[in-house]
Amino acid sequence: MAHFQLKSLRDLFVVVAHPPDPDSQLVMQQFKRIGCRTEAAWPIPRDLPQATDILVAAIGHDHHKALKSTLRRAGARRPDVIALADYENPAMLELMLDLEALAVISKPVRPFGILTNVVVARNVSLTNKALVSRIRRLELRMEGQKKIAKAKAILMETQAIAEEDAYKIIRAQAMTKRISIEEMADAVIYAHDLLSGRTSAP
Amino acid sequence: MARVSEFEPISIGVLFSETGTTSVVEQTQRDAVSLAISEINESSGAGQYALEPIFLDPASDPKTYAAQAEKLMAQSGKFIFGCYMSSARRAVLPVVERADALLFYPTLYEGFEFSANCVYSGAAPNQNSLMLADYMSENFGERHYFVGSNYVFPYESNRIMRDLLVARGCSVLEERYIPLNPGVDEIDHIVDEINKLEPDVIFSTVVGEGAIKLYQRYAQKGQARGKSPIMSLTTGEPEIVEMGVEAAEGHYTCAPYFSSLPRAANQRFVAAYRSAFGPQAPISACTEAAYFQVHLFSEALKLGGPDAILHNLPLVEYDAPQGKVRVDRTTQHTYLTPRIGRVTPSGAFEIVYDHKATVRPDPYKVEPEASGWSRFVGGA
Repeated sequence: MAHFQLKSLRDLFVVVAHPPDPDSQLVMQQFKRIGCRTEAAWPIPRDLPQATDILVAAIGHDHHKALKSTLRRAGARRPDVIALADYENPAMLELMLDLEALAVISKPVRPFGILTNVVVARNVSLTNKALVSRIRRLELRMEGQKKIAKAKAILMETQAIAEEDAYKIIRAQAMTKRISIEEMADAVIYAHDLLSGRTSAP
Repeated sequence: MARVSEFEPISIGVLFSETGTTSVVEQTQRDAVSLAISEINESSGAGQYALEPIFLDPASDPKTYAAQAEKLMAQSGKFIFGCYMSSARRAVLPVVERADALLFYPTLYEGFEFSANCVYSGAAPNQNSLMLADYMSENFGERHYFVGSNYVFPYESNRIMRDLLVARGCSVLEERYIPLNPGVDEIDHIVDEINKLEPDVIFSTVVGEGAIKLYQRYAQKGQARGKSPIMSLTTGEPEIVEMGVEAAEGHYTCAPYFSSLPRAANQRFVAAYRSAFGPQAPISACTEAAYFQVHLFSEALKLGGPDAILHNLPLVEYDAPQGKVRVDRTTQHTYLTPRIGRVTPSGAFEIVYDHKATVRPDPYKVEPEASGWSRFVGGA
């Protein structure tokens, strides 16, 4: 499933972090042709410009630390990184992996392929973001299910009732108190711990 | 050509097919290059330089294009004028890039390309599809039918046209593709489907021989003929001669040039072309682009010699048969004037829409404006 809409291509803001030379010049010109807003940033700035979507970054040992901390500072607004690489040796590849680059433009730069790299990188990044948020939702749900199961077990044991009835009680209480079933389950577990003299939190 | 020896010769490779599926148009492009070169040499138009063409026949086959481009590069050629289909251009470009030479490509295409070693002088989609979509949606109904030849140009042109039409409240009933050399059965299948669906407009990106057969069969069997026109970006004067006026009449083409344009520069060009290649010789937008790009080249050559062509080209404005043309430095595509023509009973194009200004080439435009140009600029 494609997450990136080609129609949003021209909304992308691209920052090129590379020493000014003919290769970075070619990259900038091609982004201009494609129609993306593009800015050069060298030396590596402490903070990236606001709303940077894509960072085309030179790969090298000299500036690697600076690049890493700039990306770290961007936090949740971390742009997608496309490496601008001139070597394929493992030392360079390690730097590229460390930056979590999503695509590579190799030198000498040719205009052909830059658009494809941007589209692939953007799609991978959006797909990853969608997957991460899905995983978070599922984790929360799993956590909730575990609590409900535990609360049900408590009620079944202390009240000598069937599982279905235990669930109905939790749900009814949650509705009366206008809280979620998970929160109600939490309350049951907490109350039980308290009454049975245990101190550990659920 | 005795005087040529007094000048510094500049070798020009010319790669247009004299045989094969798209030879009908490509021969006119070849002739146009040949005419422009004679004009320039006879008037010393390129200053101290004389253009020396080498004509080859790549036979509408991409592999032959690449092989012949290699041959030209080996003969120390730095400049090639040629190619019609995108597949041919894509075959020649790697050869030209390796040799750091320059390809002049005089044909409309689907956009999304830039090679530092190519100058594009045909229309990009923002210079034809946009205007045609406005015209189609404003003058005909909402139900459209797409048919194209099975290669890259029709697929991308249809993607663009579909977006444009849907944004204008139209629908696309079907999108069909036929081989580059279709059989009668494949053409009949399309015409039968058109008869069944009764679309308001047929948008055709069928090229070469296929287009000729399609228009002919539609004229013979098409029940909606006369009511539902075929709209094209590629069907020009040479195809009309080939298919016959009866098959072409009433259909539309969007292009920056038609040989019927009432401009003095065009009348001079048409007269010169026909005196060289026959009084009935058809001339299309691709012919004209092939012609003016040689003149643009020679003006740039005169400014700074063969090594500074790319630098000087964007500085040149040339009064082409279609109007003023100029190469855009950023994209190396050309500023052109979009027009729409309708085929009259005489076989000539009557201009039904004239943009009246050049449009900047924008080959990487994914989604052209939803609102139409023609609402702001009145049609002719």
